[in-house]
Amino acid sequence: MPVMRVKFGPQHPISGHLCLALDVDGDVVVNIEPDIGYTHRGLEKIAENRNYVQAVPPLERANIVDSVHMVLGYVEAVEELMGVEVPERAKFIRVIMAEMSRIASHLYWLCLMAVAVGLETMLMWPINDRELLLDLFEMYTGARITHSFFIPGGVRRDLPQGFKEQTFRALSYLEQRLGDYDRMLYQSYTFKIRTQGVGKLKPQEAIKLGLVGPSIRGSGVKVDVRKDEPYAAYDQLEFTVPTGKVGDSYDRSVVRLREMEQSISLIRQALERLPSGPIKAPAPSSAPKGETYSRVESARGELGYYLVGDGTTRPYRLKISSPSFRNLPAMGYLSKNVPFADIPVILWSLDLWPLDMDR
Amino acid sequence: MTLSPVAKAKETYTLLKDKILNWGRAWSLWSVHLCTGCCSPELMAVSCSRFDAERFGTLPFPSLRQCDLLFVLGVVSEKMAKRVKLIYDQMPDPKYVIALGDCAISGGLWWDSYCVVQGIDKVVPVDVYVPGCPPRPEAFIQGIMMLQKKIQGKEV
Repeated sequence: MPVMRVKFGPQHPISGHLCLALDVDGDVVVNIEPDIGYTHRGLEKIAENRNYVQAVPPLERANIVDSVHMVLGYVEAVEELMGVEVPERAKFIRVIMAEMSRIASHLYWLCLMAVAVGLETMLMWPINDRELLLDLFEMYTGARITHSFFIPGGVRRDLPQGFKEQTFRALSYLEQRLGDYDRMLYQSYTFKIRTQGVGKLKPQEAIKLGLVGPSIRGSGVKVDVRKDEPYAAYDQLEFTVPTGKVGDSYDRSVVRLREMEQSISLIRQALERLPSGPIKAPAPSSAPKGETYSRVESARGELGYYLVGDGTTRPYRLKISSPSFRNLPAMGYLSKNVPFADIPVILWSLDLWPLDMDR
Repeated sequence: MTLSPVAKAKETYTLLKDKILNWGRAWSLWSVHLCTGCCSPELMAVSCSRFDAERFGTLPFPSLRQCDLLFVLGVVSEKMAKRVKLIYDQMPDPKYVIALGDCAISGGLWWDSYCVVQGIDKVVPVDVYVPGCPPRPEAFIQGIMMLQKKIQGKEV
């Protein structure tokens, strides 16, 4: 049978906004070519045409599931360029919001991973639990997923009354639910047989491909920006970096579950140790001449911002190094001579978010 | 003037046919699962447990040959616009389009972008516009209900 080219996406329930051109020989995928750019919006050019605060809302839309980290990385870069010192309280609030966003993003990923292996019940459970976190975001910022809440110098508003108690309640519920997921999905025969040994990546290969985030940690490489180069208040909080052993899709999934547990503990610590004081430091409207690179650990991995200032109120150049784009080469590497049905599993075990990829 | 019994029966039949067909169409709007932009997490929220748009008969469906509703979920780039047109053409009649989010309505936040279509109504005809960036799930459901009203008031 001759090798046939099949287009997978962008109109497909699993692929989202991504298109994959597959060369298939019967049921076996011989080669794969990602066709990205369906959601390209020219974010980097748009940021050059806005001033430093106005650039926040467009940048946030690059990765709407994990919007807090998109803004956090940018704001950290701007603060470094301007030389602004952020108050302690703002740093802790940033950690709380960032970790909440990480859990929300991982829960969203969990739904799609469950659909990729064909377990529809697990689509309904995590998305309903994610609403809890979105309610907390709404209580605090007024928006469900697009908050535009961090600005150079701090955060916009202080925590509202009753936020702490409601967060603790939501966290203890979520903790119990994570145990449910473990029993319901991770220990189930279907999930194990579909993910174990699929998309296996040795540590050396993962490093060579330049993977980031939970995808590389699943292969057993301990890389985490929160530990290696602490930003916000991560140097004052205790947490561990979970890693996998085998490096298959199952390990990458387990790493994300363990990360959610760590995030819950981080939010608890940050809320308990929350210092009092101002939430915002005055920041100038223009940045001096110079360049800076800042990185944060987003839900999908290391997210970098390269920012060049030229003394005006607008950035001269902004380059985004997004985690999904850096994880994309692994998709092509892992999808050689695998059954067609494994493609969605590999795709979602890497957690590729095309909006973030295309920018 | 009085109608003959045959003409009367014919008229009643036409009226009933319209009503029944439109009723059926309004409550079984199956939507194409096409994510064009960043409103897609809200579609996920709407079609899952808490908001549950399936109460109103709307269900994202994999095959577009059996769908009659196209959600344009947010920003549409030049590259995606061709796909949206292709998908709209492949859907069977009658078909409806809901434009979700400011970006799909008028370009929204990307008004000065070099690669974003400024309003999806330049590509496909739109029935209902739902503003918001992204629209809340409640607005999403209101859009669906508005479309149902529109369908039920229409002749077949």
